[in-house]
Amino acid sequence: MSRIPFSPVTINWTLTFRCNFNCRHCYSRPEKAPELPTEQVKEIMAKVAKYKVPFINYGGGEPLLRSDLFELTSYATCLGFNVSMNTNGFLMTREKAALAGESGFKTVGISIDSTRPEVHDDFRNIKGSHKKAVSAAKFLKEQGVRLTISSVICRINHTEFEDLVRQARDLGAEQISLHNYKCAGMGFTNKDELDLSPAEWKEFYLKAIALREKATDIRISMDDPITATIHKAPEQAIVKGSTCGKLSLNIRANGDVTPCGFIPVVIGNLLTDDLKDLWDHSNVLEKMRNKKPKEKCLTCKHYEDCLGGCTARAYATTGDFNSPDPHCWVAK
Amino acid sequence: MRNIRRNPDIIWREEEEARDEALRAMERGDDASGEGTVLLVESGMMHQLNLLGGEIWKLLDGIDEERLVDTLAMTFDIDRETLSMDVRDFLIDIDGRGWLVHE
Ligand code: SF4
Ligand code: SF4
Repeated sequence: MSRIPFSPVTINWTLTFRCNFNCRHCYSRPEKAPELPTEQVKEIMAKVAKYKVPFINYGGGEPLLRSDLFELTSYATCLGFNVSMNTNGFLMTREKAALAGESGFKTVGISIDSTRPEVHDDFRNIKGSHKKAVSAAKFLKEQGVRLTISSVICRINHTEFEDLVRQARDLGAEQISLHNYKCAGMGFTNKDELDLSPAEWKEFYLKAIALREKATDIRISMDDPITATIHKAPEQAIVKGSTCGKLSLNIRANGDVTPCGFIPVVIGNLLTDDLKDLWDHSNVLEKMRNKKPKEKCLTCKHYEDCLGGCTARAYATTGDFNSPDPHCWVAK
Repeated sequence: MRNIRRNPDIIWREEEEARDEALRAMERGDDASGEGTVLLVESGMMHQLNLLGGEIWKLLDGIDEERLVDTLAMTFDIDRETLSMDVRDFLIDIDGRGWLVHE
C-alpha cells in the first residue's frame, strides 16, 4: 500500500441528525448531537479547506432540513470544495433543485431502495416517498444538476439490483451506489431482519460485479472491501481494505470527528482541534490503518487486499477493529 | 505545436509530503517511483501519479511539449532524449484516458 494521503480526500459531513424519515436501516436515527450554527460550520469549513480536502459530501440526517444548506454550499464551493449530498429527496422542489445548481453542488444523490414504490415506502416508513424521490431526481435533471442514486442492499432488494440499476439509468443518473448494509444504529437493531447471510452477499457481489463490468452507460459503485475476495483491487487502488480513516473522515453535526459515520468513536472536534493533527496523530486512525489479522483472517490468502473487510461492521458486531468482517463468506 | 491542458473535469491535488519524500529519494539516487505525488479523481475513480507524472501534470496549463521538456529538464537529471521519450509516453497514456485537452 502506498502512503496515506496528507489529509482526507473526502469529508462526509452530517450537518444535521434531524430527519423527516425513519428508515429501517438508518445508522443515524439514534444519534443525537447539538447542531452547529451557520457561522461555526463555516469556521470549520475554512479550517478544513486549509488542508486542500477536495470533496465534501453531506450525509444524513436529511441535509435539506438545514435552512442554510445552500448558503453553506456556496461558501464551501468558494473555498474550493467539490460538494455533494445524499438526500431522501422528499423535500426537493424545482426551486430547491435550481438552488442546488446555483450554490455549486457537483452532484446530488437520491436514495431509492426499490423499483416497487410500496416496498420503498414501507422500508423508508413514509407513504409516497418513492414518488417524491423520483420527482426529486427529475427536478435535478431539469436543472442540469448531476444525479446519482444510492441504494442500500439488504433483504428487500438484493435479488432486484438489476432493476435498481435500470431505474437509475432511466432517471438519467450517472452513477448508482449499491451500498453494503451497515450494522449501525437502526441497521444494528434490524440486522436479523434485513442483513443478508455471508453466502447471500457472495452471490450478490458475484452478479453485481459482472453487471458492473458490462455497464457502459452508468457507473455502478460498490465500495466494499470484502469484494477483494472476488477480484483483485485495481492496480492503482490507493489504499486497501476500508477507506475510512485512510481516505475519508466523518464530521458530526456538532463538529465531532469520527473515522466514518458508522464508527461512533470520536477522535476530536474541529471547533478546537486541527484536522491535520487528528489525521496524523489519532491513535484510533492509527489502529484502523494498521489492522492486525485475527481468527480466520490469520490464514486467509486474501488478507493483503481485504484487510479483514469492513472495519465498521467488525467493530459494531465485536467491538474490535481487527475481527473478520461478519459479511465474510470465506470458510474458517 | 499545439498547447496541452489538463481536462478541467479532473479533480486533483498535489501530495506535498510524498513529493518532498520523492525528491529526497531522487537526490539520494533511490527509486522514488512508488510515491504518489499527485492524486487525481476522475469519474469517481482515484489515481495517483509518480514524481515525473506529477511534475508533468502540474505544468499542463496550456504548454507545448517542447517547453514542457525544457522545464522538466531543470528538475530531472536525465538525458534529454530519455526525458522526451518518457514525457511522450506519459502524455500518450493520459491522453488515451481522456485526461487532456489540446488547444
Ligand atoms: S436513512 Fe437517511 S432518510 Fe432514512 S432516516 Fe436515516 S437519515 Fe433519514
Ligand atoms: S477471512 Fe478476513 S481477510 Fe479473508 S476474506 Fe474474510 S475478512 Fe477478508
